[in-house]
Amino acid sequence: MHNHDSAVVKPGEKIAIVGNPNVGKSVIFALLTGRYATVSNYPGTTVTVTTGSYKLGGKDVQVFDTPGVNTLIPMSEDEVVTRDILLKESVRLVVQVVDAKNLNRGLQITMQLAEMGLPFIVVLNMWDEAHSRGIGVNTEKLAAAIGTTVIPTVGVEKKGIKELRESLSEKRYSSLSISYGSLIEDGVERLESLLPDSRISRRSIALMLLAGDESLKPWLKDHLTPSEINKIELICQDVQGKFYEPLGYVINHTRLKRSGKVTDEVFSKYQKGGNTISVNLGRWAMHPVWGIPVLLIVLFLMYEFVGVFGAQTLVGLLENGLFGNYINPFMKFLTVVFIPDSFFRDLLVGEYGIITMALTYSMAIILPVVGTFFIAFGILEDSGYLPRLAIMVHKIFKLMGLHGKAVLPMVLGLGCDTMATLTARVMETRKEKIVVTLLLALGVPCSAQLGVILGMLGGVSFTATLLWVSIVILVIFLVGFLASKVIKGESSDFVFDIPPLRVPVLSNIVFKTLSRIEWYLKEAVPLFIVGTLILFTLDKIGMLNIIEKVASPVVVGFLGLPQKATGAFLVGFLRRDYGAAGLFALAEAGQLNPNQVVVSLVTITLFVPCVANLLVMVKERGFATAIGMVAFIFPFAFLVGGVLNYILNMLGVEL
Amino acid sequence: MDYQRSKAQFEEDRIDELLELIWMLREEGDATIDNVKKRSEDPQAGHIINVIEASGLISSDHGKISFSEKGEKRAERIIRRHRLAERLLFEVFEIEEKQIEDPACELEHTHVLSEVVVDSICTFLGHPPTCPHRKVIPRGECCRKFSLEMKPLVVPLTELQVGEDARIVFISSKYHARLDRLSSLGIIPGSIVRLHQKQPTYVVKTGETELALDRELAKEICVKKIMPE
Repeated sequence: MHNHDSAVVKPGEKIAIVGNPNVGKSVIFALLTGRYATVSNYPGTTVTVTTGSYKLGGKDVQVFDTPGVNTLIPMSEDEVVTRDILLKESVRLVVQVVDAKNLNRGLQITMQLAEMGLPFIVVLNMWDEAHSRGIGVNTEKLAAAIGTTVIPTVGVEKKGIKELRESLSEKRYSSLSISYGSLIEDGVERLESLLPDSRISRRSIALMLLAGDESLKPWLKDHLTPSEINKIELICQDVQGKFYEPLGYVINHTRLKRSGKVTDEVFSKYQKGGNTISVNLGRWAMHPVWGIPVLLIVLFLMYEFVGVFGAQTLVGLLENGLFGNYINPFMKFLTVVFIPDSFFRDLLVGEYGIITMALTYSMAIILPVVGTFFIAFGILEDSGYLPRLAIMVHKIFKLMGLHGKAVLPMVLGLGCDTMATLTARVMETRKEKIVVTLLLALGVPCSAQLGVILGMLGGVSFTATLLWVSIVILVIFLVGFLASKVIKGESSDFVFDIPPLRVPVLSNIVFKTLSRIEWYLKEAVPLFIVGTLILFTLDKIGMLNIIEKVASPVVVGFLGLPQKATGAFLVGFLRRDYGAAGLFALAEAGQLNPNQVVVSLVTITLFVPCVANLLVMVKERGFATAIGMVAFIFPFAFLVGGVLNYILNMLGVEL
Repeated sequence: MDYQRSKAQFEEDRIDELLELIWMLREEGDATIDNVKKRSEDPQAGHIINVIEASGLISSDHGKISFSEKGEKRAERIIRRHRLAERLLFEVFEIEEKQIEDPACELEHTHVLSEVVVDSICTFLGHPPTCPHRKVIPRGECCRKFSLEMKPLVVPLTELQVGEDARIVFISSKYHARLDRLSSLGIIPGSIVRLHQKQPTYVVKTGETELALDRELAKEICVKKIMPE
């Protein structure tokens, strides 16, 4: 029927990597293309498509790394992306990555790929993990049952990749087919006659439509007339009318029964997988009682590594040591010698100089903190602890009207709010996306800022740290609670895949940290320089004085801070970590007392994270929503700071 | 039992059979006299249709049959008995799907299972919404009260003890998206789950997949415990 190996590569043909969430698609992608896509141990790391290229038959073929899906009938925005690639792109071959130990779930997608009539091969990844649990899969039998090539791999150890590369030139069409019973089959037939030609089979589209796939609507509109669409809807309603349960569920059920049968035939459990240390540790991490000490230990280690080692030891070495003792004096010396003009000298090494301010802040204060944070965070991501954290705090989030899944974007926000705002795509309803975006923009401090803040607070007292943490959490909670009351819409269910706890792979941590640091240097440092230039210009033309005077009722009167803090807030509009760095410098110079440190930090924490974050907000949530949030956030930040100042004064608290 | 009484009963049973068939055809959207004649095993189906139409249980219009209020009630009770009987045989005695049809047919008639007994079975089974063939079971008085006075065989997942294994019998959710989501993760009737924990959220393991579930969802997943051997 079909020719099995057509090694001829036509121009524009693509390879798509698909599979369930957290099965290692990005690892396989990186091995094929040599491009690094973020790899972690939790579902939903990839929310957008990454592309790379692979040499096939002497030609470059584009390879897509797609967000994970459990079925090709999408339920959230990131899942639509994956289905649309199969529907709209010219896909030469689909590489389906399956978690070997969870074959049953992978087969659901296999069946859908077979239905679509796309050529595909199956990669049984994490072969080692299945083994250590005493699970064996008979790959020959499996290949026969699903009618395509099956390749066992261990992605992180690069095992099986050679075989995979060799199979990529094949073009095998699976022979697998399933019948869904006469009532559904009848509906499929009726729909098929109405559907246009496309890259995937009519049958598969008919089944998606019957299953109630709303995300196909735009595609239908492009290809059919309104009256044809109307007919399609009537057929779907008619077939659904014959079933008590939703058709999507009936169809899934049929597929699962079939995949269960296949799994039973090819699976062998040759020993009872005993509870290993990682299994037990994984249990404890989400245990109602033991989970709390585990969380505290994790937080403590993070604090020691990032807050103490990064923000104090390393910053001390770099800021006072390297920059304070060597670079800055040396540069000052050089400029005095070579640049006679005081204007340009100040531009480089003055109070608002590019070297003395922008580079010192970004390289000496923030970089060590961000660096250590990225390492710690990478370890957390790869260990599989984050989803367990989501379980631990689920109840608190539920009170807020969100659910535990919202924890992931929020925790990711501690790394970078901009990236986390993108991750909000895994949330299923519009309401949840808006609330998460708002909370990220308002309250969740990113690593850069967190580092500066911890560094400052560590220098004040533990009580001050605790006070700052409590206030920020309280604000997040209150705003989240109110926002989910005010914003209309539904909340989605909390069903959540928990990946096994794993020992992080060193090379991945290194890669991830380096690519994040590179990103930080490329994105943040230029903004620091821009911010410094603005301050420098304002200072030189005398505007800074005027702004300080104008802002004085707020900064001095309301917040009770010195006038100098105005500059920090000003650059805080660009990047709040930069603002925090400005405050850090003020505190170091002894110009802020402990109360003022806490008040100013609370205020700056509640700023919008950075310009990049704002742009992503606009892109993801729309202009009006984003601007609305900003209009709320800045005044609110000052309000909270002011109220805190007032309360501290009223109670006569001296931190 | 005297001849007259059993003859009358036999006639009643034939009427029941036809009412049941009409109900099923209606579910499929095609309750016409032609279809009834085609699908009925009763050689005199046409005659019986006339009898039940004359007794005011059904009415027909251009060959399309609809129930009267009285007929609807009676058919609903038959269907409920039949499908609950199927569930009972399937869940308790674990008789295969294919083999439960005949005995269930015997159990569906009024003289075999009284209303009270039917409600007890329903309660015992945890008020299932569908039969093993996934057709809807009409609700009874007991379901509206959702009485749990009797210790039911089929319980919500939330009633399990931590560490217990259970087989999912049905999921009684009215939200389509929820059923879709659960089924895409492998949570469907027939799946075996082990309850790992109840706090802070429910955690179950099915196959090699570990899932966290909110209590709200766990409540809707009805299971039958698997006794350790």
